[in-house]
Amino acid sequence: MSNTISRRDFLKLAGLGAATSAVLTGCGPAAKYVTRQPYFDMPEYTYHGESTYYATTCRECAAGCGLIVRTFQGRAIKVEGNPAHPVNRGKTCARGQATLQGLYNPDRIPGPIRQGRAGALSRQVMTWDEALDILAKLFQNTPADQMAFLLGPAPDHLYDLVVELAAHLGGPAPIRFGALSLFEGRTTLIQAAQELFGQAALPFFDLASADLVFSFGANFLETWISPVSYTRGLSTMRKGRDGRRGILVQFEARMSQTASVADEWIPIRLGSEGLVIAALARLVAEVQGRPADSFQEVTPDEAATAADIPPEMLYHLADRLATAARPLVLVGGSALAHRNGLQVAKAALALNALLGNVGREGGVFLSPPAPDGAPHSRLASVQEMAAFVQRLASGTVKTLFIHGVNPLFELPASLGLAEALKNVETIVSFATFPDETALQADYIFPDHHGLESFGYQRVMAGAKEAALSGLQPVVSPFHDTRATVDLLLAALAQAGRPLPYSDEFAFIQSKIRPLMTLAGGSFTAPEEHTFMALFQQHGGWWTLNDMRQQPSSPRGRIAVAMAAPEDGEFYLLPFVSPVLGEAGANKPWLQETPDPTTTVMWNTWVEINPKTAKKLGIKNDEVVRLIGPAGAIEVPVYVYPAIRPDTLAVPFGQGHTAYGRFAAGRGANPINLLLPILNEAGDLAFADVKVRLEKTGRKYSLSRLESRIGVYGEGLEEAH
Amino acid sequence: MKPIDLSLFGAKGAIVEAAEGKWGMAIDQDLCTGCQACVVACAMENNVPFVGEIDAGYGRSMHWIRIERFWEGEYPEIRMTPYRPMLCQQCGNAPCEPVCPAYATVHSQSERINLQVYNRCVGTRYCANNCPYQVRSFNWRDYTDERVNDAIATLKNQYNPDVTVRRRGVMEKCTFCIQRIHRAQDRAKAEGREVQDGEFAPACAQACPADAIVFGRIDDLRSRVSRLIRQKHGVHYLEELGTQPRVTYLVGGAS
Amino acid sequence: MTEKHEHTAERHLRKKHLMLDPLPRGQMNAMVMESMHATSWKFWVVFAVLAAITAWGLFYSWGVLMLDGLGMAGVNRPSYWGIFLVNTVFWIGISHAGTFISAILRVFKAEFRRPFTRAAELMTTFGLIQAGFSILMHMGRVWLAYWLLPYPNQRQLWPNVHSPLTWDLLAITTYLLASTMYLFLPLIPDLAMARDRSTGWRKTFYKILALGFRGTEGEWTHLRTAMNIFAFAIIPVMFSVHTIVSWDFAMATRPGWSSTVFGPYFVIGALHSGMGAVVVVLAIVRATMKHMDYFIRTEHFEAIGKLMLIISMGWGYFFFNDYIVQWYGGDVWTKQLLHWHEAGPLGWMWFAMLIFNVLIPWLVLWNRTWRSNPWIMLTVGLLINVGMWLERYIIIPISLTINRMPFTWRMYEPGIEIPLGIGTLAFFILLYLIASRLIPLVPVWEVQEGQMAHSLKKVGRETVVTVAELE
Repeated sequence: MSNTISRRDFLKLAGLGAATSAVLTGCGPAAKYVTRQPYFDMPEYTYHGESTYYATTCRECAAGCGLIVRTFQGRAIKVEGNPAHPVNRGKTCARGQATLQGLYNPDRIPGPIRQGRAGALSRQVMTWDEALDILAKLFQNTPADQMAFLLGPAPDHLYDLVVELAAHLGGPAPIRFGALSLFEGRTTLIQAAQELFGQAALPFFDLASADLVFSFGANFLETWISPVSYTRGLSTMRKGRDGRRGILVQFEARMSQTASVADEWIPIRLGSEGLVIAALARLVAEVQGRPADSFQEVTPDEAATAADIPPEMLYHLADRLATAARPLVLVGGSALAHRNGLQVAKAALALNALLGNVGREGGVFLSPPAPDGAPHSRLASVQEMAAFVQRLASGTVKTLFIHGVNPLFELPASLGLAEALKNVETIVSFATFPDETALQADYIFPDHHGLESFGYQRVMAGAKEAALSGLQPVVSPFHDTRATVDLLLAALAQAGRPLPYSDEFAFIQSKIRPLMTLAGGSFTAPEEHTFMALFQQHGGWWTLNDMRQQPSSPRGRIAVAMAAPEDGEFYLLPFVSPVLGEAGANKPWLQETPDPTTTVMWNTWVEINPKTAKKLGIKNDEVVRLIGPAGAIEVPVYVYPAIRPDTLAVPFGQGHTAYGRFAAGRGANPINLLLPILNEAGDLAFADVKVRLEKTGRKYSLSRLESRIGVYGEGLEEAH
Repeated sequence: MKPIDLSLFGAKGAIVEAAEGKWGMAIDQDLCTGCQACVVACAMENNVPFVGEIDAGYGRSMHWIRIERFWEGEYPEIRMTPYRPMLCQQCGNAPCEPVCPAYATVHSQSERINLQVYNRCVGTRYCANNCPYQVRSFNWRDYTDERVNDAIATLKNQYNPDVTVRRRGVMEKCTFCIQRIHRAQDRAKAEGREVQDGEFAPACAQACPADAIVFGRIDDLRSRVSRLIRQKHGVHYLEELGTQPRVTYLVGGAS
Repeated sequence: MTEKHEHTAERHLRKKHLMLDPLPRGQMNAMVMESMHATSWKFWVVFAVLAAITAWGLFYSWGVLMLDGLGMAGVNRPSYWGIFLVNTVFWIGISHAGTFISAILRVFKAEFRRPFTRAAELMTTFGLIQAGFSILMHMGRVWLAYWLLPYPNQRQLWPNVHSPLTWDLLAITTYLLASTMYLFLPLIPDLAMARDRSTGWRKTFYKILALGFRGTEGEWTHLRTAMNIFAFAIIPVMFSVHTIVSWDFAMATRPGWSSTVFGPYFVIGALHSGMGAVVVVLAIVRATMKHMDYFIRTEHFEAIGKLMLIISMGWGYFFFNDYIVQWYGGDVWTKQLLHWHEAGPLGWMWFAMLIFNVLIPWLVLWNRTWRSNPWIMLTVGLLINVGMWLERYIIIPISLTINRMPFTWRMYEPGIEIPLGIGTLAFFILLYLIASRLIPLVPVWEVQEGQMAHSLKKVGRETVVTVAELE
């Protein structure tokens, strides 16, 4: 944006589309940053005692929820949802609320650092000029095919730039990864849609209009794909249409937060999800008098035995499913994390087709395309990551750039990434926080925090509308950090191979420009600068129409069987901590926010069924050693009344060895128990693992919000 | 609704509201997913400090809302009771108020909610003992002092200037985001109008992704919260104590 | 003394009863003075140890508590009140015995009271000081404690008269002032006696405190009138104090607390622990101070023992009354609480309380020989005090564990309360030690007055005790 609209015009614009009655501000490069200034010298649009509100996009996960950040005297003080945003409609999750604790985190990387792969954050501060020199030299001296970019799920504009950069230099495309996608079974779902409907898109489950939902393993109220949007869906479903309240039935080996909200929780054995879905499909087909096709081979009684539920229950469930007005079968997460996960996903989608709800209200759609027509970038599956690690290990990668992801924490250690990194000559990290991977880099050139950044994020799933969610800085950078896009562009220019963008903003503008010509959007503007200003002000651009894609009719055969895990005492079910997510552990308030189901704060625990615990002679707070195929962790026990007796569950999100004072040395990381066993789509079969349990004889008192006396009756045993 | 002369009901500390309150909240337990967004939103809005693992595990966490849940039955017939966000019920006849010797917890005559006057509090903690809902939190240490907690040095940048930062020895609790009530009222007044229903919400209601928390005027029969309270099965917890809670819990699904 | 007429019964009576065993005034005065002056090295050792414990336990720990906040203590949600208030109630309870002995027994003219009214009355004052300390420790912002006083201020802010804590403060302050004056009044003649028998700084000290008392008939009349007024006036104050303390609990909307019988239950509990403490003090004073075995005799232990037995029965009655009322009420939370008391992890405290407060006194105090033995009485007194402390512990932190929000139930684990509690105890003993060196622990004039009134007469072949009405 140039100077064609003055700041004063800007204020006039500010009144437009302000869904909250507050002042929303977009800011152009002329006012690229709002600065923290003393009271006597404030930007002209800041009034004494009045807050300025900026629309931006949440970067705590990749769902792309719109935020409105309240700022006061140049400081961000509160994150609120953007009421107009199609993903979250003014709402936020706990992680989004705690974004500010990342922005003002005491352990942020303060500036460019010559890290030199020291175990702790190095104190060798550099200047940005030196950093630029180093980057430029790397671009000059590294052959393009020996350069690799590893990016996180957000932000998309950086990914787009790196794609262009890689193409420009002639190197391989960047690879994106995030632990959430691993736990969501995203790749599997996309692959299933590809195989069944011939279109590689993430299925969109229309909870809001359904009246009976069978959910297999998908923790859609916690971290799954777009939790705020799915929570709204559930809420709408519960409020009921025509006064009829929708019902949610959750099939899971452990009562997750999602299952705890469900009307019924059916604890089926891990690995039997596919069989149960297939059996349901066969029974539904029988009720409807239709051929069951590939489900014909499944015997419901055998499925019930495999799932460890009474057969009558299965018949009854199928009956309800077949007679419901708008039934929906949802699948994801642990249900797909088996060797046959792809078949499970396909079976679930096919069951939906059998129920006749594909492409119907309350049924299954495919996610809307990105508004700019660009394909949604798919995050790498573990299989692809394993190949990438192989590439690193082989020494063919001279320079590795890492942004927005912490693979040393988020990938199973058994993939051997830590070893592989040793074969990379130079590692440059753009991390904002001193996470495990950043500490293994040669240089850290910290990017701004999400709230200090420009950018955009394509909304992949979570809205009916096609949306490009916009990011803008709400405060001036708190530390001596620099936008990675700016840095890359400058380094390329210095290396003599410039891309045609003057800076990050110009790049973003070039990507947003095509939206101006599209009809049916949330706003229009006659010329580019106004359009950009409005883009910032609204927190993005989205269509007003439902843009979900109709899947074509399913085809192909499905063969499901019981997943067969390795030998071991107990099934292990790792799950993402609903509060911390994969990267929330450095925020003290998230640490102190109780886990919804166990109310544990500040630590990792293992959930054990009371009967199992009694049999093993294990009590609450006893530290046990879980021995998996790839390693062992020690965690305190939480005797959890709602988990299968043959299953242990451990949350993922803690167990950092770095990542700041609040995260480091706290809890354990269950992902390190796992071998890289994959399903057919290349996603990690993390639920196909069995572990052994050993006592350590130690105790560690888990901090719980709940009362063990009042909730579990400890000390009140004889009371009635 | 006819305004009530609250001065008829005794001295400041012992106001018993004869009529319905003014502000109220409906919490739909059927919609609550226990996601804790309200808990964090409240902490961010109200400068609620964190206390660390040991204190948090010892019943010293400072949350102004906590989400309760219990269990019924045994595996496999086990059920979790619906999540119950428990926060200050803003009692019309609040047990916390009369017992404070220093008048630090008082009834707002204009807003009809219970206020904690931090700078008047001397920390006898009688109010917290007498609160049947156990929703008051006490500043056991100087959690907000950067000499005690060095992380505060940077984290303090997010403090909401509308809300007092509390020091050790002071009781605190949910205020229904009184600062937001006042902001909305001031704005409405400046614009020469009444505050409209849904114009603003406390941080918890604003954040709630499930739309389980609804806030508004309960003395206005047209407001969303009043309609909800009348429509569904509303429950006032422990109302048998005569506390006249202003938070109504909706239990059971739509019918 | 007429030895040739003395026969066994008379000798026996004289040996047994102080009132019948008079010594010349000069000799008795000298004995009391000597007991004050005879300070061995052992005294200084004990003094130094106690002073060190007080400095560490009370003043240093309190400093830490004030600087770091109540997180140093064990209080939490839901046990917002802990040992500080247990100690407050405990010390106020202890202080009751002084008034009971010196005022009620004086009013009822119980003659055995005479030699130990002072030692008991000192306990009132010293105990109240510890109670005051304890309640100040309990406050989150003790530096603002003066806000609880009704003092004129610009903002016209007054304490909240609705709050039982405000009544409490008023009651305790009144009691402290009244009991201090009531301690001082009977002290005047003894201070004058000491003044006349001292030199140096002691002389100046006593001179100032004795207010020029010379022992004229007029002075005695005034003094007796004043003491009489105080003796009667302080009795309702004494009853009110612990009743009001009980209201801190009884007025609250908590299961287990809102019990209408708490007023008398607390008063009788206070007397129970107070009498136990008196017996302990007497036994120690008798054993450690010179000539005290003359003044404090087994008859006194025996008499106090009877009182303790009656009080223990009274306590048992009120305990049962409180329990049955709460249990019969059938409130679900109260039922949980009663169960928690008995069968919870600290159920042993509940049983120990009943054993120490009821079972042991009842078993021991029935027996005249046992209750005449100072060492047995010392043990029983100590156990009763432990039992009564446990009773307050059960009422405060253990009962606070159970409320109407089971999600918050949580146990209380004391922290810095322990050194602070030990500190108050050490300070209490230290004050006694200092007092024993500075003021006559035995009210000499009161003993002499009693001895003058008592005499032995022969009626036929029987020797009988006669007492003249003095006042």
